[in-house]
Amino acid sequence: MSASAQKATLAPDSDSETGTVAVLAVLAGDEAYGFPLSAVREILVSPPLTEVPRAPEHFLGVISVRGQIITLIDLLRMLHLEVTESRPHTRVLLVDNGQELVGVAVDRVVEVYRMEPDQIEYASAVDAELSEYVVGLARVPAQSPSDAEEMLILIDPVSLLGGTK
Amino acid sequence: MSDPRDNVQEEFLAEAHELVEALSRDLLLLDEAYHHDTRIDPNLINEIFRSVHTLKGIAGMFGYKHVGLVAHALEDLLDDLRLGRTSVEQRLLDVLFDSVERFQRLLALEDPQSSAEDSGVQAYVAAIRAIGLQPEEEADDPLQRYAIEAAVLSVLTEYEEHRLRACIREGLKLYRLRATFDLTAIDDSIESLREVTRDDAEIISYLPSLEGGNEDSIELVVLIASRVSEAELKAHFDGRYGIVEPIAERTHLPTLPPRLTSVPAAAMSMAPQPGEDPGQASLTSVANSVRVDIRKLDHLMNVVGELALVRGAIDRTVNRFKAEPTHRQSLMDLDRIGRGFERQLAELRTGILDVRMVPLGQVFNKLARIVRQAAREHDKQVRLVITGASTEVDKLIVEDLTDPLMHLIRNAIDHGIEPAGERQRVSKPAEGTLALNAYHKGSNVVIEVEDDGAGMNAHALREAALARGLLGSEVSHELTRQEMLNLVFLPGLSTSSEITNFSGRGVGMDVVKTNVLRMGGIISIASEPGTGTKITLTLPITLAIIRALIVTVASRTFALPITAVREAIPYSPEAVRTIQGREVITLRGQTLAICDLAGLFGFQSSSGQEGRFVIVGSMGNRELGFVVDGLIGQQDVIIKPLGKSLSAIRGFAGATDLGAQKVALVLDAPALFAEYFEGSGALRSLGARP
Repeated sequence: MSASAQKATLAPDSDSETGTVAVLAVLAGDEAYGFPLSAVREILVSPPLTEVPRAPEHFLGVISVRGQIITLIDLLRMLHLEVTESRPHTRVLLVDNGQELVGVAVDRVVEVYRMEPDQIEYASAVDAELSEYVVGLARVPAQSPSDAEEMLILIDPVSLLGGTK
Repeated sequence: MSDPRDNVQEEFLAEAHELVEALSRDLLLLDEAYHHDTRIDPNLINEIFRSVHTLKGIAGMFGYKHVGLVAHALEDLLDDLRLGRTSVEQRLLDVLFDSVERFQRLLALEDPQSSAEDSGVQAYVAAIRAIGLQPEEEADDPLQRYAIEAAVLSVLTEYEEHRLRACIREGLKLYRLRATFDLTAIDDSIESLREVTRDDAEIISYLPSLEGGNEDSIELVVLIASRVSEAELKAHFDGRYGIVEPIAERTHLPTLPPRLTSVPAAAMSMAPQPGEDPGQASLTSVANSVRVDIRKLDHLMNVVGELALVRGAIDRTVNRFKAEPTHRQSLMDLDRIGRGFERQLAELRTGILDVRMVPLGQVFNKLARIVRQAAREHDKQVRLVITGASTEVDKLIVEDLTDPLMHLIRNAIDHGIEPAGERQRVSKPAEGTLALNAYHKGSNVVIEVEDDGAGMNAHALREAALARGLLGSEVSHELTRQEMLNLVFLPGLSTSSEITNFSGRGVGMDVVKTNVLRMGGIISIASEPGTGTKITLTLPITLAIIRALIVTVASRTFALPITAVREAIPYSPEAVRTIQGREVITLRGQTLAICDLAGLFGFQSSSGQEGRFVIVGSMGNRELGFVVDGLIGQQDVIIKPLGKSLSAIRGFAGATDLGAQKVALVLDAPALFAEYFEGSGALRSLGARP
């Protein structure tokens, strides 16, 4: 996928006047990930999960959100990262992939960043395995003064969740 | 998000399809009246005319030019028919019937302007025009027989004049009703007048009388042609509407021409619009029905589901308080309110389900056309007998039913019912009978397609299956007649036409079966050589809500649609035997294969546990016991589909929220049966594709 196409994915989220992009930062495993805020419909406290036998590993199961059945996926397994221990998924992002709402289980929601386009690095330098779902990387201010600057991995929800553009 | 233009387009297509369906239905009635030489109801021709007229109008608005062209030509033809300029005959009926197919094809076009259709449409329009005019031959004008005032005759429309002549020719007597109508309710009053007279008389026209009436009311002179005696007609009207008097018949013919040019100004300007105006009539005919997108109903159903959850939450809160005696009175009140809520909720749910229900007659009418067409193609005489057309089924099921039923009907006529000559040789009536029966049976609807044809050749099916390697020769000898008949559902078998001709059943039975299974239904065949074939479909009445048995497997909760469950029996490990690697138990002398759901789904099996159950499931003529850990009970559940990303996983029909955000997967019984029986062993050869 070319950098310009990836840019297009983020384009609808840009604030046309300032050119900034709103990104929701979440923690999962050891990394921080960013979702375009416009694709995130809701953030939920993890509801009871019903596992679906025979489903591939990255599907955690299904949840009910006000009577609607939503598929819940594990972000890390989806990104082909090794998951060694079962983690406390405390939050679920309801993400619109262009076709349906899908739940993405994350450990913690950090905050919303407004980013200038030049803060985003449309990197092809990222792990090849990752790159199909990753738009790029962005530097964000540290959480506490003692920490160094953090790196946010920007996710393309449409390709991650298998929808069509 | 949906484009509003698409919505409008969708609306148009929905309306156009409805019109074409109505057209098709009315044409069948016309065909029937023509072939049985019964009186052709002029209202029927008007209905047909209106459908085509409205279709022409909306097609023009939406740029469906071919539809518009065809509708326009038909409209002219129908207008001639309506006005008696031409009459119903076979060639005209054929042209009209062709239009239904043609409209449907034109409406299905991606590009409604496509020039690829130009020549076909032109040829068809020419064919319609070629039906031409057959001028009415009239030795003496029947109008002359009555002493109708010239002032009245002069304001009749061409249609009214035609009807008047036709009625007189049929021997109806003419009467005049003088009645005063309230101006504000005049349309309703005239409509009710039409209703009252429907069977016994025809209202030709109504004109304001030149006397009578005041600011709020008007006196009309209604011209009526009656089939019944003066006394009977008077019984309908006198007192309630006004005074009926016969119009005098002339003893000798007048010299006056029937039409006059001088028209009293009052009669002209005040003549109320006759109800025959096509535009107006079509508006009123749809006024009491509303077309609703089924997704909106789905949404309402979801809301009801959520309300049920809210209700559950209230219940739980009430129960928490019950421990404290101080709140007793309030609690009793709450309890009462809660029960009221529950009742209304149930009512609401039933109401919404009811809206989704449509009579099967909708499909049957489409099928009647197929029957006529197939019978003509094969030059066979077929009488269609429909029972239970008013049986109601979920709209979604009705839509999915059309194709399978069409297939079954074609098969019955193509391959089941014999040509007239052959039938007479075996002392059957020359006309074959095809019956479509529908009725409710518990929470299912049963649809039967039955013919009195030659029946199916079970041995031919077996030989064909053997020849195609779909069946091992050792297995083939053990097959019962019923099992041989069921071979027709094998994918590799029924797709070949040379077999269908001598097996008495047609192509694509595997597709029919797949479609029926997908709707959660079952299909079965009964066939006797020489006597006929009956195919029975058993389907759930609605897909939106089903009754389910809630079970636990390895501490997880699942729902099993009750339609697939025959009974539940306690499981005793010591009764289990193993035959050919499969676990079986004996139930009332019969061997029943059992399948541990925990094992099937890859959970830790709870085989050591006490108090387990075998749920005996049945699908068509197969039975299978599902071993579960516990029974929780029965519950009405709303099945929601699993998301797109999980739709490829076999064994689950969807999921349902049982309350308190607790989700249970709904087991897909047909899929589990197929997986179990077609997955391995001797039956693999039955299920395998060539």
